[in-house]
Amino acid sequence: MVFLLVCVFIGVILFEVPSLIRQKHWRELIVFLILLSIAFVMAFLETIGVKIPSPAKGLDYLMEDILHLNYH
Amino acid sequence: MRLERGEISSSQLTFLISCFIQGALFPLSLAFPISKHDTWLALIAAFIIGVFIVLIYIALASRFPGKNIIEINDLIYGPYFGKLVSLQYVYFFIISLSGYLWFIGDFVLTFIMPETPIIVIMTMFTFICAWAVRKGIEVIARISVIFVFIPGIIILLTFALLLKNMEFTNFLPVFEVPLEDFIQSTNIIMHISVCEVLVFLMVIPYMNKPKQAKRSVLLGIISGGLILLTGMIRNIAALGPLSEIVTDPSLIAVSLINIGKIISRLEVLVSMAQILLLFIITSVFYYAAVLSVAQITKLRSYLPVVIPIGIIGITLSLISYDSRMQFSYSTMYITPILSMHIYIVIPLVSLIVAKVRKLPQRNGRN
Repeated sequence: MVFLLVCVFIGVILFEVPSLIRQKHWRELIVFLILLSIAFVMAFLETIGVKIPSPAKGLDYLMEDILHLNYH
Repeated sequence: MRLERGEISSSQLTFLISCFIQGALFPLSLAFPISKHDTWLALIAAFIIGVFIVLIYIALASRFPGKNIIEINDLIYGPYFGKLVSLQYVYFFIISLSGYLWFIGDFVLTFIMPETPIIVIMTMFTFICAWAVRKGIEVIARISVIFVFIPGIIILLTFALLLKNMEFTNFLPVFEVPLEDFIQSTNIIMHISVCEVLVFLMVIPYMNKPKQAKRSVLLGIISGGLILLTGMIRNIAALGPLSEIVTDPSLIAVSLINIGKIISRLEVLVSMAQILLLFIITSVFYYAAVLSVAQITKLRSYLPVVIPIGIIGITLSLISYDSRMQFSYSTMYITPILSMHIYIVIPLVSLIVAKVRKLPQRNGRN
């Protein structure tokens, strides 16, 4: 599974990066790599079974258990 | 510099919004358990209130012609606080994207292919959406011109074929549910369907005739809403009290069609229409998320961020939603109030601040 994930990400990098380097779009390259590393870390942790805290669940908890603003 | 080079016409915007509204027919099954057979009244109420909220968005968009919501925030709140407001929009776009991805995965898993892992369905779907988004809003708008007619025709056709099974006494007694439930149901319908037109603040600036934005948005909402109402009346009339229990009233109602043992099992048509519409909705949210990220980081082209945002969306949907029960509970009881912040508070405050600061200044640098 992890091998498959790494293959997919290498494929994405090979698909996007060469044209960015050829056009000298360095800013785009940096943003792309930052976002892709965030995506890789999240997907990797999800694949090996680590529980990542979800922002949606956090907001639900805030609304329901702390502010008590939900419908009953 | 403009990120998006394509342009859409006003009629294309109408069709896009009509698709967008019609696609809410399946998520609206979440409102049935609350307001039971009065859901159609809640739908009408939600659309009447929603049109007024949409007028706020249009006023905001027409005050700053040619600017999308991220640029508008920068102008209204200044470069730093504006980024903070924009980040909330980005979060909202990405979390809606992940919600819809989970929704399509769950839909296919429940009704069409029960043995497939959900991640396979979501990945394939995201791949198609990413392809559409890379081609730009112009392509998505053109697809919607074809797609808007298919679900509409299917809903009208199944309405006609189901007339034999319908009992209009199912609507009686009107206004049986308590007012509290009615308000909650109206709020659910608003935040699922009509208020999501907020996302078109990222699309309206790329119209070729920005003056006609108001007319096309309202026309799209009304035409989509009428088809939604037809579908809802069909479900309630054909199913009666059953419509509050089943997972998807549309599919169950259409599966009742049986004319001479030849015309039957038409639910595949409904699921086809549903997938087409969810494709349009997901693409628009995906496009808005990608464009707003590219706008915040000041890129020259949004193409490089398409695939990372898609992967983040898939992972977020996997970690945010465990089961259908949790998703339904969250959508029915929590997010209607939570999302009011994005739908009503921020646009209204933006509009008021823009009015007070007399933006945009004609002869200033703004």
